[in-house]
Order: sequence, then structure tokens, then C-alpha cells
Amino acid sequence: MFELGPLAFSAPWALAALGLLPLLWLLLRLTPPAPRRHPFPPLRLLLGLKSAEESAMRPPWWLVLLRVLLVVLLVLAASGPVIQAGQTLRGTGPVVLVIDDGWAAAGDWNQRKAAARGLLAEADRTNRSVALITTARRSGAPPPLRLMRASEAQERLATLTPKPWGTDRLAALAPLAELPEGPPGHALWLADGLDADGEEGTVWAALRKVGVTSLLRGEEKTAPLILHPPRTEGEDLRVTARRLPTTTPRAATLRAFAVDGALLAETSLDFAAGEGAATATLSLPAELRGRLARLEVADAGSAAPVVIVDERWRRRPVGVVSAETEGGGTLLSGTHYVTRALEALTEVRQGTVEDLLARELAMLVLVDPGPLGEAGRKRLREWMEAGGVVLRFAGPRLARTTGNGGDDLLPVRLRFGGRQMGGALSWRRPAEVAPFAADGPLHGLTVPRDLRVRRQVLAEPSPGLEETAWARLADGTPLVTAEKRGRGRLILVHTAADPAWSNLPLTGLFPALLSRVLDMARGVEAGAAKVPLAAIETLDGFGNPVAPPPGTRALPAPLPEELGPGPEQPPGLYGSGAVRRAFNLAPPASRLVALDDPPPAIENRGLDRPPETDLTPWLVAGALALAMLDLLAGLGLRGLLTRGSVLGMMLGLAVPAQAGDEGRFLEATRDTVLAYRLTGDAETDRISRAGLFGLGTVVNRRTAARMGKPMGIDPETDELSFHPLIYWPLVEGAQPLSDKGAARVRAYLHKGGMILFDRRGGSGGGDGLGELAESLGIPPLVRLPGDHVLTRAYYLLDHFPGRWRGGSLWIEPAGERVNDGVPPVIAGDNDWAGAWAVDEGLVPLFPVVPDGERQREIAYRFGINLVMMALTGNYKADQVHMPAILERLGR
Amino acid sequence: MRPLGENLRYQAEALAAPLPPLLVEARRIAATVSAGMHGRRRTGPGETFWQFRRFQSGDPAAAIDWRRSARSDKLYVRETEWAAAQSVWLWCDRSPSMDFRSRPGLPTKEARAALLQLAVAALLVRGGERVALLDGKPLPPGGGRLALERLAARLEAPDEGSGLPPAVDLPRHGRVVLAGDFLEPLDALAERLGALARRGLRGHLLQVLDPAEETLPYTGRVRFVGPEGEGEVLAGRAEDLREGYRIALARHRDGLAELARIKGWSFATHRTDHGPETALLALYQALEA
Repeated sequence: MFELGPLAFSAPWALAALGLLPLLWLLLRLTPPAPRRHPFPPLRLLLGLKSAEESAMRPPWWLVLLRVLLVVLLVLAASGPVIQAGQTLRGTGPVVLVIDDGWAAAGDWNQRKAAARGLLAEADRTNRSVALITTARRSGAPPPLRLMRASEAQERLATLTPKPWGTDRLAALAPLAELPEGPPGHALWLADGLDADGEEGTVWAALRKVGVTSLLRGEEKTAPLILHPPRTEGEDLRVTARRLPTTTPRAATLRAFAVDGALLAETSLDFAAGEGAATATLSLPAELRGRLARLEVADAGSAAPVVIVDERWRRRPVGVVSAETEGGGTLLSGTHYVTRALEALTEVRQGTVEDLLARELAMLVLVDPGPLGEAGRKRLREWMEAGGVVLRFAGPRLARTTGNGGDDLLPVRLRFGGRQMGGALSWRRPAEVAPFAADGPLHGLTVPRDLRVRRQVLAEPSPGLEETAWARLADGTPLVTAEKRGRGRLILVHTAADPAWSNLPLTGLFPALLSRVLDMARGVEAGAAKVPLAAIETLDGFGNPVAPPPGTRALPAPLPEELGPGPEQPPGLYGSGAVRRAFNLAPPASRLVALDDPPPAIENRGLDRPPETDLTPWLVAGALALAMLDLLAGLGLRGLLTRGSVLGMMLGLAVPAQAGDEGRFLEATRDTVLAYRLTGDAETDRISRAGLFGLGTVVNRRTAARMGKPMGIDPETDELSFHPLIYWPLVEGAQPLSDKGAARVRAYLHKGGMILFDRRGGSGGGDGLGELAESLGIPPLVRLPGDHVLTRAYYLLDHFPGRWRGGSLWIEPAGERVNDGVPPVIAGDNDWAGAWAVDEGLVPLFPVVPDGERQREIAYRFGINLVMMALTGNYKADQVHMPAILERLGR
Repeated sequence: MRPLGENLRYQAEALAAPLPPLLVEARRIAATVSAGMHGRRRTGPGETFWQFRRFQSGDPAAAIDWRRSARSDKLYVRETEWAAAQSVWLWCDRSPSMDFRSRPGLPTKEARAALLQLAVAALLVRGGERVALLDGKPLPPGGGRLALERLAARLEAPDEGSGLPPAVDLPRHGRVVLAGDFLEPLDALAERLGALARRGLRGHLLQVLDPAEETLPYTGRVRFVGPEGEGEVLAGRAEDLREGYRIALARHRDGLAELARIKGWSFATHRTDHGPETALLALYQALEA
């Protein structure tokens, strides 16, 4: 390395060639330029003649200067000049790069990588061997220390990604002990700023052995952030995030997402100056909370501020046990009323006691199920002891079996048969309900005036009856009685859940009552899983959900308390079948400890590193330009540079420039080209382009169709008729079509074109599909019939997910136009381009929710069907006759 | 050698149109002079029917006109009128040195020579003379448009000739028109022309040259390359050669003129940057003389 101020040369010996320049000058001066050649028929007459002076022509001085300059540039380029701000690496021995790649490093991973790249580039120039050590915890022993060439280390660096678990620096640095003796090198620690276990001092001790030691840290604003699993407090979820307690305040946004990727809530998380923790409260209505799947800090770019939420944080479902085998649904069934009332609050499951209690459950509602059997009763008793809440409704079956004392699932003893009020043979009127006691658990609910109870089961009078009754009829007989059983409760409603005994199920009190009881039900965990749970979906270091990497192991059962995410079990969602368990990065309580400032002997600096500029390409380009000039000058001097040849050269240069429209036509017709509408929004256009590119690649791979590169089109100006299919994303605020543009699109549709309108999630209301449809003359669309050719043009499909799922697909009804019944217009809102979109390396750009890669596959199949339908029309529709044809053949 | 262009014949006819039909005076063969293509009113070799006469012993059997003989008991022999015309052989230098032009606007020397020859041929044909192209395998001279077309076709066809007229046996007392650059050594030219002259042929020489070949306009360092493999001449300063070249060219021309004069032939020069009409007129007059 040889330096001249900010200029450094990696191969300074090449500069010695500059010393030969005077010689070159002389040589160039001595060599006459090549003569021009002329054919000359009367050559014989010239043969005897002699030129008066045969002195060599000298080349003009400027040509010599040009050539000398060219050589100077080449020599400089060969010497590898680099403009740099300074030298980082010290010492002469090996360079040891220690890179923290745990969860805390993800936030500023790009800077970290750039810094490491810069260091490796410098090591490459100075020809030093490099050892690359990553500190994220790994399974098994760390690999032995290996000194490699800097170029090899650069390749390895390119493949590094942050891991969604913590670091184990001591284990990672252990191999440093094997470093061979030699000249002192330079150890650089690209730290994530966290001192995990007070191990800083030990790290420095290990690094000092190498030689000079440096610490490179990221800036404060990219300092790591970690989100704790939320705590449930009544209706609310309290979420705590931690950071290093720095002096600057920091504002972050907490977002809650549903299983299908929809944004449920957004709230701010503000760290005060000097505070290491911030707490936000999420108030979610019960139905939204049931869908909660993921909490994350927006734009954190790391796995740490992501919490996956499983059933433990949701409202737990309610189980309903009834005598009916099916769910009922008639207005005479008590199950129907209970289900309807609870549906708005939480998930309702139906089944037998054993089935329901096998999973987590908040409350069990027994809608007069009849005898439960000994096993069921035992299970139920245990469950209540553990904290379960059982709400039991009376009914004819209960009334028949009471009185013999055999039923122990009652808070009070009941008399046989019950009591009937009102009716043809009774003088008594149906009973009213007394207002709820002010100190009772049902206080605050209003009793409707028209509530009448015609029939009930009667409690045997007993001393404890006063305390157990939550509600009474106007005459004082208990209507709702409850009893504590262990940590749980048993509640009996003395009338039926169907309208035969009272009109309670028809009043507003019924859902209110259920909701009140549900609030008391904190539920019981289903017990630790008895089988190991396999990973369903895990997070990568940046917090994106990915398929579990190879080598992922199942969560052991039972789950040890101290087990945190690691290489074998990355954070994510584990489970199988109905059991889902979130395995999150942050332990319930952990403090983040900042790395202390290093001892003074150690260099302490940021990750930012002034960029280096390699001048070699510029010098080579300059030399090339000079060589071209020299060529032209030489041609000129030899008389070969005639007007014709110059014209030819200029034509050659000009031809690509004036390709213009014809080039576009050629491009559009050389292959089958899918098109997308240019919306004017660069991001949308990029997604559309990437989406059609991805679809085209898949179509090329799987079918005989050959798709070219997709093209963006503007219907106002571009020719549409080359494209079998146009993808038309609807964006808010898009420029409406002019009359001329609309006429062109109408003509395109009329002549057999096909357009897929995509509302892309359909979040915005005013996306203008209505106006657009009107201006394009599209008739009212209908929902896609189940036997439409689109469901079997290539693959057999019954749903058409894109990036999202669930939106339905609308088509222009068949036969409305002269198009063989193939719909010219297809509309939906699943953001298909988002699902299809891939980058140049065919890596998907966006996650697909909720089904991940499986859903992306279905989205591609939908795209292939669409392309096939656009290319082949309705010929697959003939398959509807296939059964009839087969039948005839069989006969 | 590349074709000289599809429309060479039309150009040549257009060029020849303003001139009166060229009747070549055949002084050496007085009997044929006045006749031209006309019949001589006596029996002899010819194309047109003259008379039937009775078969005499000694006549070849092939001469019997069987159709006429079948109408009577006698045998008749068909006799043709003796027709004779002046025959003119045209030679055009097709050597690589003729494929030269010094700047894009000019015709090559070969194109110009071929044009002139064809124009002469057109004039001759109009005057009833018979023309033929003098090349390696000359066809017998012919008259009429067909001969003209054949001539044009052969001129347009690619051909690699030498810079000297071919040494073929021509009938006596014909005429030859030789057009070329005549840059071959004078000795070789003298020998070949002498061979023609000894057969009693009268000739006309037309030297076609490019303007650059007369003036040597080049300057600076130039490498001159001979198109027929004569070698190369590297001139440090081409302008220095100009005077010497002019003298050498003049000497060569004088030699040519002298050569023609001795044999009683005519000699004319032509530059491709001048109009072809002047040269055609000169040729016409020479042929008339």
C-alpha cells in the first residue's frame, strides 16, 4: 500500500512504468504514421521515379501527446488507485472480524455489513488474511478458527444474515485461542451494543490477544428494540417494549395484525429520555382480539420487536355441550341462542365435554345436555377445580333427573320436576324477575320489563341459598345460582336457554348475562402439551415469517422454563393440528444492558466508514475513450475517414436511439407479452411489473406458453391489442381515463382482450371501479360461478387467493359480448400481483397471508389459469360435457 | 470483373442516336464498299434467296432445294445472293487496371470504355455493318439489333481480360476498334498491334484514362499499389513525383501515337471526367476516314 494523501495505490510498483514515458515519447516521434494507400493503375510509370526527399514524416505532436496520455492512464489504472479517507486496519498480522449477528444486530444490519465489506476490501488490498467470527448462538461447538483470504471472507460475508436469537460471544471467541503466533494483527468487533451477560471484559481479553483492538458500534437511533409478550388486563392488552436506556426520547409505532395480515390496531410507543421501557395499551374489541396474531413495532426490521400471539392472549373459546348432536340452528334450540349470543364475543365450539376440555377453554356452557356420564363429570369437576367456569342452563332433561341427588354438577339441590307458572291450568301468571342485588355479580344489568319466566327448576330451600343466588324472581325464588368450586365456578340458570320456559333468550339480558359470566371466566390452560410441537412458521432475523429452516427441532414437551429461542428452535409458531404455541424471542422480563465504553486502549468508533472510491474503472474508461480518439485520428490521417464512413458510424450510433415505437411493437409481438396498466404510482407499477414477471416465469416453467417480459402500458397512448391480458391495479387517486382512452379500452375489450382489475386488498373505498366500469361500458359483474372455465383452464381451483385471501372474484356475465363466453373483465381484490411478485433472483417480494407459500402457489395457479383462459378461450369449458360423453362411451 | 450495369446498352444507344448512321468505308475491299449490307446482284455466299437453277453434276447434294424439285421432274439448286459487309471488331480492355476511379462521382475507366464501344457498335449496326466483340473467343460478326444485344450482354458479363488485345486469328481486311488504358509496356503493345496490322486490319486506338492518372493529384506520404500485382511504390511526398510522372506519361503517349502512326492507325485519348460524346465523335470520324 502506497499513499499519496487521500489517494492510495494497491499495486504501487506498476507506477514504475511511468518512468518509461520519455522513451515512449521518443519512439512515437520516430515512428512515422502509416502511409495512405492508393490504388494506382499507371504504377509502372512511377516505378522509375524517385521522391526528391525521402525524409520520414513525423506524426503530429498532438497525436503523440494523446498516446502518451493513454499510456499514463493505463499505468495508473494498473496501479489500483483508491480514494480513501484513511486507513482503518493496523498491524501486519491477521485481521479478525467479530460480527454480532444476533437479534439485536438486525436493525442496522446493512450498515454493519457495509462496514464489514469496507474492512474486507481494505484487507484485500493490503493482502492480509482474515478470520470471520459470528457470535450468534449456534448449536454445537463453534467451527475452528480459519484464516482465509479477504476475497473468500467477502463471499462468506455476503451470505450472513442476522439470526433471530441471542449471542454467545464467549463460545464464539473460544477458537481465538488457536490463533497462531505471529505479528500482531487487528481485531475488530462490530458489536450490536448489548452486553448480554456482562461478558464485555472477557471479550476484550480474548480480542487483545490478536493485537490492536477496535470496537465498531451502530448509532443510537438504530439501537435494538425488543417487545415483550403482552399481558392481559381485563379487556386490554398491555405491551411493553424495551430498549437501551439512552438519553434521547424515541417514538415507535406498535401495530397489531390479524391472522390474515389485516392491520387491527395501531398505537404509539413512546420512550421517554433515559427510559429503557415503554408500555402501550391495546384495547381491542373481543371479535378483533380473537383474530390477533402478531404484534410488531413498525419499521423495526428485526425479529426482536415482533411478538407472535397464540391462544393464550386471545379470548378463549367457549364450549357448548348440548343434547343435540348437530349444532341446532332452529329457533327452538337453546344452543342456537347461546351460540348467537356468544359468537359476537368469542369463538364458540361445540362438542362433548371430553373433546372441549382437551383444548383451552374459557367457559363451558351446558345447555341441558342430559346425563354426562361418569368420565365426563369427573373431567368437569377437575376442570372447575383448576379454574374453569361452567354455566348450566336448566331444561326438561334436568327437570326429569333432579331430585334424586345424583347430580353433583349443581350449585344447589333441586326439587324434582320444577315449577310452572302461567298456562291453561294455572292461576299464576308468569313470574317477573327482581332487579339484581347491588352487591351481586350481576349488578349493573337492567332487567327488561317484559321478561317473564314461565317455568323453572326450583332449589330446595337450604341455609346457604341466600349467598348462592345471583338473581331471583319477583317472588324470591332463585333464578341464577352459583357456587365456587376450587378456583372455578359452577353457575346454574334455573330456566332453559330456549324460549319454551321463558322469554329470557329473546331479551337483551341474555347476551349481557353471558358476557358478564364470560368476563369471570379466566379459563384454564389446556395443560402443557404432551407431545413435542413441530414448527409451523418461524421468524427470520428481520422479523419476516418464513418456512422453518432445515434443522429446526420441535419444542420439547413439557417446555422447560428457561428454554429460549436458539438455532434449534427459532422464534415462531409451533404446534400441530389445533394446538398452536407461540415461541417468542423476548423472555417475560429482561433488561437490556448497554455495552460499556471500552477501555481507552481500544479504538471506539461508529459503523459508518467513509466510502472508498476505486478509480480503476474510471481510468480504464478514460483510456478506452482516448483509444477511440486515437483510432479516429489514425484513420483520419490515413485518409480512411471519409464522409461516407463517418456517416455510417453516426448512423450506427443513432439507430438504437430512434428505435422508438417500432421497437416497442417488436418487443410486444416477439413473445406473448402480459401488460399492466401504468398507474403513475412508481411503487404500484413496480409491484405490477414484478408480479407479471413472476407469473410469466412460472407460466414459462410449467406450461407450453412462452411469455416475454411484461410491459407497462398507458391506455391513453399505447397500443393495447398486442396483449392477451392486462393487469389493472386500482389505486386511489389514479388519473381517470379520458374519453379517448376509455374508447380504446372499450375497443380492446370488444375485440377479445381481457383485463384483470385488482383492488389490491380493497382497503380504499373510493378506488373508482364504479366510474371506471361506467366509462368502459362494463355491465354489472356477477360472482364467478363455481363451474366457470377459470376454475379449470389449467389447474382445478375453487378459490383464487392473491396476497390476501377471501375476496371473491367477479366477472362479466358470459354471453354478454361476442367473446365465446370468455369474460373480458375479471375483478377482485386479493392483490394478485403482490403474491406473484418476485425480484430478479426469483425471490418473492411480499409475504402472503395467511397460508404462506401454499397460498402463493394457489395464487400462481390462478394466474396460470387466467393466462390459459386468455390464450385458449373457453375450450376447456367443453369439459362440462365430459361426464355425458363418458357415459355414452361406456354404453 | 463485375457487371457494368444493366442499362449499358441503352446508354450507348442514346449516345449514338444523334450521329448519322456510320457507313464504314471499306476502301481496301472496293467491291464491298458501296454495297454495305446490300446484295451484289449475283450469286454468291449470302443469306437472301437469289434464284433457282437446274442441278448440274458436281453440285453438292446438300444444295438441292427439295421442295422446289418436287414440283417438277427436274432437280433445282437454290442459289443465294452474294452479300458482303464490312466487319468491325471491337475490343475493350477488361483488365483490373480499368476498374479504377479516383473519386466517387466518376465512372470507372472500364465503364466508360464499354459505353463508347457499344455506342460505336450501335452506330455501325444502324449503318448495316457487322460488329463483333474481340475477346478470347470472338464470335463471327453479326448485324442487326440481335448482334448489338449480344455485344451488350457480353460486355456486361463479368470477365477478366488482360491489358492487351487477344492474339486471335481475324479475317483479313476487317477493322478493329481498341479501347483501353494502354498502360502496358510499349514493346508488348507494339508486338500485339503489329500482329493485327500484319493481317491487313485497320485499327483505331482510344486511350481512356482517369483524371488522377493524368495529373497525379496526391500529396503527402502515400503508398501506391498497382491493381495488377505490379507491386507498390512508397512515396514520402507524392507531390514531388508529379513532374516526373507527367513527363513519363507524356513519353508513353508519344510512343503510343507513334506506334499507331506507323501502322496507319488512328490514336485518340479520352478522360473519364469529360463527356463521352467528344470521344465518340472522334472515333466516328476515324472510322469514316
